Amino acid sequence: MLAVSAKPLSEGRASKGGFLRALPLVMIAALLVGGAAITAKALYLPVKAEVAQVLLARAFDQSLEQGTPVRPWSWADTAPVSRVRVDRLGVSEIVLSGGSGEAMAFGPTEVLDDRARGVTILAAHRDTHFEFVRDLKAGDTISLDRIDGTSVTYRVRGFETVRFDEFTYPAHGGSGLLALTTCWPFGSQVSGPMRRVAWAEKLG
Amino acid sequence: MRRMTLFLDRDSLTVMLILGVVGMLALVASAFGAPATANVSPRAADEAIAAMEAGGGTAPRGSAQSEGGLVLRPAASGGVATEIPAMRLGTDIVANVSGQTARVTVTQAFRNTSDQWMEATYLYPLPEDGAVDTLKMVVGDRIFDGKIKPREEAREMYEEALENGQKAGLVEQHRPNMFQNSIANIGPGETVLVQIEFQAPIRQVAGDYSLRMPLVVGPRYLAGGEGAGGTMTRAAALAGADDLVAPTADPEMVARVGGGLNPVSITVNLDPGFTAEAISSPYHRVNVAGSGEKRTITLADGAVPANRDFELRWSAAGDAPALGLFKQRNGELDYVMATVTPPSVERSRPVPPREMIFVIDNSGSMAGESMPAAKRSLLYALGTLRPQDRFNIIRFDDTMTVLFGSAVAASTRNLDEARRFTNSLDANGGTEMLPALEAALRDTSGDERVRQVIFLTDGSLSNEAEMMEEIQRNRGKSRVFMVGIGSAPNNFLMRRMAEAGRGTFTNVGMGDEAESQMQRLLDRLAQPVATNLTASVEGGNIDFAPRDLPDLYAGEPLVLLGRTRHLAGTLTVSGLIDGQRWSQQVDLTQATASDVVAKLWASRRIAEVEAERYSGQMDYERADKSIEELGMAFHLVTSRTSLIAIDETPSRPDGAPLKREELPLLLPAGWDFDHLFGGHSASEADWAALRDAMADEEERREQLNLPQGSTNYLLTLALGLTLLLSGAAGAAWWRRRERSVQGPALPSLQRQLA
Repeated sequence: MLAVSAKPLSEGRASKGGFLRALPLVMIAALLVGGAAITAKALYLPVKAEVAQVLLARAFDQSLEQGTPVRPWSWADTAPVSRVRVDRLGVSEIVLSGGSGEAMAFGPTEVLDDRARGVTILAAHRDTHFEFVRDLKAGDTISLDRIDGTSVTYRVRGFETVRFDEFTYPAHGGSGLLALTTCWPFGSQVSGPMRRVAWAEKLG
Repeated sequence: MRRMTLFLDRDSLTVMLILGVVGMLALVASAFGAPATANVSPRAADEAIAAMEAGGGTAPRGSAQSEGGLVLRPAASGGVATEIPAMRLGTDIVANVSGQTARVTVTQAFRNTSDQWMEATYLYPLPEDGAVDTLKMVVGDRIFDGKIKPREEAREMYEEALENGQKAGLVEQHRPNMFQNSIANIGPGETVLVQIEFQAPIRQVAGDYSLRMPLVVGPRYLAGGEGAGGTMTRAAALAGADDLVAPTADPEMVARVGGGLNPVSITVNLDPGFTAEAISSPYHRVNVAGSGEKRTITLADGAVPANRDFELRWSAAGDAPALGLFKQRNGELDYVMATVTPPSVERSRPVPPREMIFVIDNSGSMAGESMPAAKRSLLYALGTLRPQDRFNIIRFDDTMTVLFGSAVAASTRNLDEARRFTNSLDANGGTEMLPALEAALRDTSGDERVRQVIFLTDGSLSNEAEMMEEIQRNRGKSRVFMVGIGSAPNNFLMRRMAEAGRGTFTNVGMGDEAESQMQRLLDRLAQPVATNLTASVEGGNIDFAPRDLPDLYAGEPLVLLGRTRHLAGTLTVSGLIDGQRWSQQVDLTQATASDVVAKLWASRRIAEVEAERYSGQMDYERADKSIEELGMAFHLVTSRTSLIAIDETPSRPDGAPLKREELPLLLPAGWDFDHLFGGHSASEADWAALRDAMADEEERREQLNLPQGSTNYLLTLALGLTLLLSGAAGAAWWRRRERSVQGPALPSLQRQLA
C-alpha cells in the first residue's frame, strides 16, 4: 500500500478495486524475496567461515614457507598467524591476527599472544569455528602451529564460564597457557554476556 | 467505515500480510544495511572494546606500560645488603624553629669499625623545601668548612682528594629532597663527623603548624625500566634515575646489629612566636619540656631507627597571626617574605556540585601498611560524595584501570561498585603513574563544575620530571591534590605535583590517621576559601613568587617571596572569598628583619626554575645555568652545586688500600620487605629467579574483555525460512483464489506495477 500509493491519483482511484486485489500478491512476492535474502544471508555466514578457511589454509602454508604473514586475499586486513588443531575432534583451523569481529567471521583470532609471558588467548564464534569447544574434554591435546615453524602442544586443564568483562588470566603463564574463548551457552541463538573459556597448559 | 468493514470482510488476510511485509522490509533493510552480528566494522569493534575497557576493564598489560618491573626493581635501590656494614652511622638532628622557619642541623657520625681505610656514601632525605647551605667536616678536633662549588668541579676535587689520601666530605643533591654524602679516607677505627645545616619553612594550615623531617629514602620504582626502553624523556634521564642507588638493609641483618642500624636522635627547640598548643608527634613518642613560648621536644625513646619520617605538629592558641612580614638585605638587594592568611568566613552558599577523580596507587611499594591506609582514605572519601557530585576511580601499578568510562554520578549503585573495586585492590607491581595521571587529567565533562583530582600514593617513583611536565601542560581546569601515604612518602613529588596542579598536599600516615587526615583534606576541598587571587605592589618595583597564585583553602596562608632593589610600597593581595571581593594591604616597609629570607627566596626561585624546565618554558641548559648561579650566589646545594670540604693534609698512607661502602638504608616502616624483595634475594643476580617466583603467584591476574563469540546465523536462517514458507503459503492461497474468482486481477496488477 505504501509503495503503490505513489502512483498518480487519478489512476489509483479508478483502479482501486484492482489494486486491493493485487495487494496480497505484492505481499507474497515480498515475503518470498525477503525470505530468500535472509536465508541466503544466514547461509552466507557458515559458508563464508568454511570457504575462508580454505583460502586461509593456503595462506598459512605460504606464511609457513616464508616465515612472515601472508594475506589470504589481497584486501584482507588480517593474516594467518597460527593453526590450532584438536586431533581427537578432527579440528584444524587457521588462526588470524587481531581480535576483530571482522576477522572472527573467517576464523579464530588471536586476542593475545605474549610469548614472553607464556599466555595465548584465542577467540572465535561458538556456532562456527569454536563449536568444537563444546566437545572439548579435560585431557584433550591442542596443538598450536605458528607460522614461524614452531609447534606447541597443550593439554586441556579445565573450563570456566565468565562474563565477557570479568575474564582474567595469569600475568605470567608459567611454562605456557592457552585459552580458547567463545560465546556461551552453546546452541543459544541470542548474543549474551557470558563466555566459555577452555584453559590448556603446555605439555613438557 | 462501510468500506473498511467490507475490506476486512472480503480479505482479512490482507491486513496480516500488510503487517508482515512492513516487518519484513524492516528485517531485509537490517539484514542488508547494517549487518548485526558478524560483519562489524573493525573501527566500531575497536571503539566498542575501548568503551568496554574504559567501562570497567583493565587495559591489557602491554598497552598500559612496559615490562618495567613486576615489583620494585632492586636496581633502583642498589639491591639488598645482607652483611653488617663496616661503616656505622649515627645521626643527630637539632631543629630550631623560630617563627615560620626552621634552622636544622644534621650531624652524621661515620665510624669505621674495620681495619681498612674506607670511603662511605650515604643517601638521605631532607624536607622537600629545605635548602642546604652549610657543611662542616670534623676530624678529631679539627673542623673543615665546606665550600660551594659547581657540581662537576666539586666531584673532581673530591676524587682528587680521595686519590691523594686526604679526608674529604662531599654533599650532592640527587633530587631536591634527596642528598648524598660521600666521605673519603676514614682510617681504621676512626670516626668522622659530617654536619650539614639547612633552612626549611614551617607548614601552616588552619592554625596548625608542622615540621616534617624525612629520615629515610624509600626504594624508588624506576619507571619504564629494562625492556621498556625510551620511555624516559631527556629531562627524566638527566635528572639521573641511575644515580638513585643505595642498598636496602635486610631486616635479618638489622636484627643482628646491636643498638640498631642508622640510629637517629632528634631535638626540636620550638619558638614559634606564640604559645604553642597541642604539641604532638604522630609517628614517634616525644617528651616536651619548657613552658610558655619556648619548648624543647626530644624523642622519648632516645635514638630511633631511621625508618620513618619524623613529624612535629603544634597549633596556635586562639587566632593564628594572619600576617607575617620579614625582610633581609643581601648584597645589593632586599628580600621579602609576606604571609597573608585570608579570613575564614562562614559559608553562606551550599557547596556546588563537583567532579572528583580519585587516583589510587596499588603498586608493590604500597604493600604492608600503606595499602590499607590508602583504601581507608578512599573509602572515607567515597562516603562524603553527594548524589549531585560526579566521580571516578583510577588505580595503577604498572598497569591501570579506569573504573568508569567517564566520571559518573555518585549514585548508590555507582558508589557500591566503587567500594567493591576499592576493597579488591592489592598492592603489587611497579609504579607507572604517568598513564594514570594522563587519564585523570583528561577532562571530558565540558561543564564548569569544579574538578578535583586526588592522588593517593607514596610517590615512590623516579620519573618525577615527566609527572610535573604532564600536569603543567594538561591541567586545564582540574586541581590536583596529593595525599602522601605511608611512613616515608616522596614529599617532593607530592608538593610539586600539587603546586603544579594548583592544589595542596597532605600526608596520611598509618592506620587510624587515615580517616581523620582525609576528613581534614576533604573538608578543605569542599570549598576553596579564596580564589582568583592576585598580588600587586604600588609605590615599589618587586616581583613576587609564585607568579600563579593558587586557590587557598580554609586556614591556608598565601606565602609570597620577593626580591627588589629597594623595599618600598604597599602590597595588595585581593581575590574572591565566598563570592565577595576581598583584599588586604600590607605596608612593606614595616617588615621585620630576618636572616633567612634571602635563602628561602633562592630555594623558591630554584624550584620555579625547575618547574619552568619541566614545562618547557626554559630550555635545559639555561635552567642549569640559572640554578648554578643561584646555588653559588646563595651558597646552596642544588642539582648544579655541591658542598665540598677537604683536609689539606693527607692521612691515608701511600699504598694503603681504600674500600668503598654504600651504607644500607632501612626499609621505611610499614613496608613489606618480603614483598618488595621477594624473601631473601640477596642481589641483583637473584632478580630473574624472583621474577619466576612471582610468575607462580596465582592472584596476580590480568583482565581482558572477550569479544562477542557467536554469529547466531541459525536464528537468522530460521527467520528467513519462516518468511519463505509463509510467502509460499500465501502464493498457494492466491492461486487457489484467482482460480475461483476468474477476475481481471492480473491485468490490473500489471497496470499497477508498470
